[in-house]
Amino acid sequence: MNWQNIRLIFLREVRDQLRDRRTLFMVAVLPLLLYPALGIGMLQMTLLFTEQPRTVVILGEKHLPQPQLLDGNHFVSNWFINPDDASKLRVITDAEADPSASASTPDERQVTLINQAQKLRTRVEEHAAQKAELEKAEAEFRKLLKANVSSAGSNNTGEAKPTSAESTSVSELTKKIGELKTKLVTIDHELSDLFAASQIQVLIVVPDGLKENIERVNQLIAEREMQSEDLMSYPRPTIVKNRADDKSVVAYSRVREVLDAWEQEILRQRLSSANLPQELPNPVGSSQLDLAAEEQLSANVWSKMFPALLVIMAVTGAFYPAVDVAAGEKERGTMETLLICPATRTEIVLGKFLTVMCFSVSTALLNLLSIGTTGHYMLSARGPSSGAGSMAKMAEVSLPSLPALAWLLALLIPLSALFSALCLALATFARSSKEGQYYLTPLLMVSIGLTVFCLSPAVEIYPVHQASWFYSVMPVVGIALLLKALLLNPGNTEALIFAGPVLVTSIGYSLLALWWAIEQFSSEGVLFREGERFEPALWFKHLLRDKEPTPSFTEAGFCFVLIMLAQFVSMRAFGQSIAAVAPEQMGAAMMRLLVIQQMAIVACPALFMGLILTTSVRRTFRLRWPGTKFLAVAALLPLTLHPLSLELVASLSWFFPQLPEGAARLMKTMSDHEQPVWLILLSFAAAPAICEELAFRGFVLTGFSRNGRTGLAIGLSAVTFGVMHMIPQQVFNATLLGLVLGLIAARSGSLFPGVVFHFFFNSLAVVRERVGTAIADGHTEELQQSVWRWFITVETSGLRYNWPTLLICGISSTLMLLWIARHGQARTLPATDHQLIGSEFAAVSTIAKPQV
Amino acid sequence: MIRVTELTKGFDDLRRGWVAALDHVSFEVHPGEIYGLLGPNGAGKTTCLRILSTVLRPTGGSATIAGYDVTTHPTEVRQRIGFMSNNTGIYDRMTAWEMVEYYGRLYGLSEEVLNRRLDSIFTTLQMHDFRDTLGAKMSTGMKQKVSIARAIVHDPPVLIFDEPTSGLDVLVARKVLSTVQSLKDQGKCIIFSTHIMREVEKLCDRIAIIHKGSILASGTLPELQDKYEQPDTEELFFDLIEQHDKQAVATAD
Repeated sequence: MNWQNIRLIFLREVRDQLRDRRTLFMVAVLPLLLYPALGIGMLQMTLLFTEQPRTVVILGEKHLPQPQLLDGNHFVSNWFINPDDASKLRVITDAEADPSASASTPDERQVTLINQAQKLRTRVEEHAAQKAELEKAEAEFRKLLKANVSSAGSNNTGEAKPTSAESTSVSELTKKIGELKTKLVTIDHELSDLFAASQIQVLIVVPDGLKENIERVNQLIAEREMQSEDLMSYPRPTIVKNRADDKSVVAYSRVREVLDAWEQEILRQRLSSANLPQELPNPVGSSQLDLAAEEQLSANVWSKMFPALLVIMAVTGAFYPAVDVAAGEKERGTMETLLICPATRTEIVLGKFLTVMCFSVSTALLNLLSIGTTGHYMLSARGPSSGAGSMAKMAEVSLPSLPALAWLLALLIPLSALFSALCLALATFARSSKEGQYYLTPLLMVSIGLTVFCLSPAVEIYPVHQASWFYSVMPVVGIALLLKALLLNPGNTEALIFAGPVLVTSIGYSLLALWWAIEQFSSEGVLFREGERFEPALWFKHLLRDKEPTPSFTEAGFCFVLIMLAQFVSMRAFGQSIAAVAPEQMGAAMMRLLVIQQMAIVACPALFMGLILTTSVRRTFRLRWPGTKFLAVAALLPLTLHPLSLELVASLSWFFPQLPEGAARLMKTMSDHEQPVWLILLSFAAAPAICEELAFRGFVLTGFSRNGRTGLAIGLSAVTFGVMHMIPQQVFNATLLGLVLGLIAARSGSLFPGVVFHFFFNSLAVVRERVGTAIADGHTEELQQSVWRWFITVETSGLRYNWPTLLICGISSTLMLLWIARHGQARTLPATDHQLIGSEFAAVSTIAKPQV
Repeated sequence: MIRVTELTKGFDDLRRGWVAALDHVSFEVHPGEIYGLLGPNGAGKTTCLRILSTVLRPTGGSATIAGYDVTTHPTEVRQRIGFMSNNTGIYDRMTAWEMVEYYGRLYGLSEEVLNRRLDSIFTTLQMHDFRDTLGAKMSTGMKQKVSIARAIVHDPPVLIFDEPTSGLDVLVARKVLSTVQSLKDQGKCIIFSTHIMREVEKLCDRIAIIHKGSILASGTLPELQDKYEQPDTEELFFDLIEQHDKQAVATAD
């Protein structure tokens, strides 16, 4: 690699971008102008549009008890926490509308409002009456049922049926309840329609005599005459609101605040008049101690905002330059010129990558800087007087501390690197800048999805958190979560232990993405994609007409996507059918479903695509005799690999999130002794062995190895095989196994050793549990005394292997894997074999069918 | 200098299935010689020249330039060739001088050599007037000159011209052709593709008529005229293509 060339290309691209008005606009001008402009606009708006007063209507104002609640058209301001809020609610009462009681003549609006309120009131009262009746009927119904049950229980020998009179009353009651319910629903509908049509945000209906009732009860309490419940109860006010309407919600929250404070005062008066202590209603009365210091509050704001912004800005900042340096270069015809200069493809990609990354980092930083300063300025300009509570606290938002900013910068670099490489690969794939722009949306959606996930307060990077180690190795998520923790507290040593894995894996992902970009850049098909018109019909015809003996790379990829989609779609259906099964039959049903799932979702897409899209089913699915040696090794290898894989996953259990409940239940059925062994072996070993091998070592691996790179094909097929297993532990395990299976399939050129290996491997998992529990049932002593204790331990979950076993297994596995790697030949298929072998096709489809 | 043996390149086409863009093509080009590839559009000329410039990989056969194989030693090959086609654009946001200087640096010329080289090229091609003009503001003629300057900045022994005059007006085309001629006089090994007979007659020492990926005939122009008893180049060209198409139809049946 020639660094001189990379430097030259980098400098040229940067200069080129800086001379481009569009890029400059996106990267520098937009953040520097947009946010201050937005800030000014928002300040203007808040100045111009102060909150509109909301309308509250009170019916029966004259029945309100003391102390005074209303002051003219508003609530009395000292009932509010912030007295200024009083002006935000306009109160209209029926007392004002009554011309005899009020000196001022009510305006038209008030009159209509009161009229609307009156109409609503009648409905509300109707509603209350109906509801009371319904409750009464239901209580009666329950009483009747109870009576029936007890009478049926008392005379077992006699007739258990209720008398005919009772049964008619039950059916009548049921009918009545149904009618009442429908009536209530219609009233509700009418009420909500009326309320929506009115200009009222909150309606308070004060029942007649509330004042007198309260005074009466006060009196009773003062005289300690509280024996009768009925004496104490009286009609209470109703507040009508609509929770789906924002205006109503805001108005209601204010009304609630006022009424609570006012009610507290009434209560206070009642207690003092009755000579009772003020603490009576609060037997616990806990007090709060909020430790949040000012800078912590602002750190909290930053820790929520910055990671999300950083991710989005890093993507957009990388995207436009990437499109310009890759797709734009193709479009302008300078790509070919660049390709024939002595710089290698890797050097060109690296030069371009560094350019893109440079712009990604600077866009992110400029944006954050601009948002930070604008936000800071705006909040302090508002001043603490303008808002209560959280706003006043946020006014003092200080910028993040220096260590926090240093972390921000350190984590921005791998993040930008990942996005730059991804964008560059996508942009290289695009034919033109326009096509390139289309790829932004999906990329942005995925990154926004990931950041939204990180914003959730439950998702944290913290040692006590079960999934932390797992999160820390996820792309983007790890960085965002670590940043969230470090912005909150830069000296957070507990979060710092994740810095290592986060950085290492992020750099790993960036390198992977970069490698992909270089691959894209080295591919003729991508660089010289013709601007051919795409016709689905033509393409489909091409697919069926120009069939090749084995699937293509794209077809293999599509097969995997199809399997994943089918899995996604079927998840709900399978979940429902499991839920419908009685618990005692759950195990058997689960296993049946497992077999069906394997056949329908994994094997079918692959077989279907293989039969339709290729001419040689035999070669696609590697249906050839591998020789007895390979079969023997494939049968032996699981014996030595299974203990290793088991202990590996067990020793990594701290790393993975907990098993989802469903999976854990499924695992349990494996050791369920009530199930016949053959069913367990069929569902856990035989079905996966045949179906998964057909799909992943058959169609997918063959397709991936078409371009002659067997190593890459094995890796890719292993990763797809892993991803299909969904649950992190299994993904990890299956990917490793996929590598072994891929190696076996590629070396033997046959599917069968893989099937044998897969079957034995999965069977061992079943056997391990059975043997483990069998020994635990009374043979533990024998084990303790025999030599076997050196090799195995028994746990409730089954056998565990000790290190001598693992050592032996490790050595023999390595030897066998080496043997496989040496023997057999890599059967890569020639890419351009266009001879159709008709007889082979016919012969092989008959072989393939019995296995479907 | 250029040796092409049994060169083959196929690709997958949506409409036609598997297509051989080049079908076992062989020829040689020596220093001080202009070899003309004459053929209609889509004959495989560009594919052939792209393989020679290491941008495409052949699916069969081999090609060596100055003793280096294009597939195994692409970097060495690229050091020794200058490639220019109507597709090789120039950067919009770079001046003529910056553009040629940039490529000179990529070819690893030292600053001293580069400056001398730039001066002489800009003088011979009369480019000093627009040395500080941005690519976006140049006329077609200026752009073509910059392209040529870029192709020869490192003084390569082998030059590949892929339809360098297509889309140019007569005056600019004439300039380009005379530059090619003068490069030949400097002893360069030149391969030149075109579909214009006149250019072939004027410029090329030897030609190959290429159609649908195969070479139908090759040799010096007089040799070909003698062999096929057709004194008119244009007629000769059409006769050969017609004959080939007829044969193709016959074998297909």
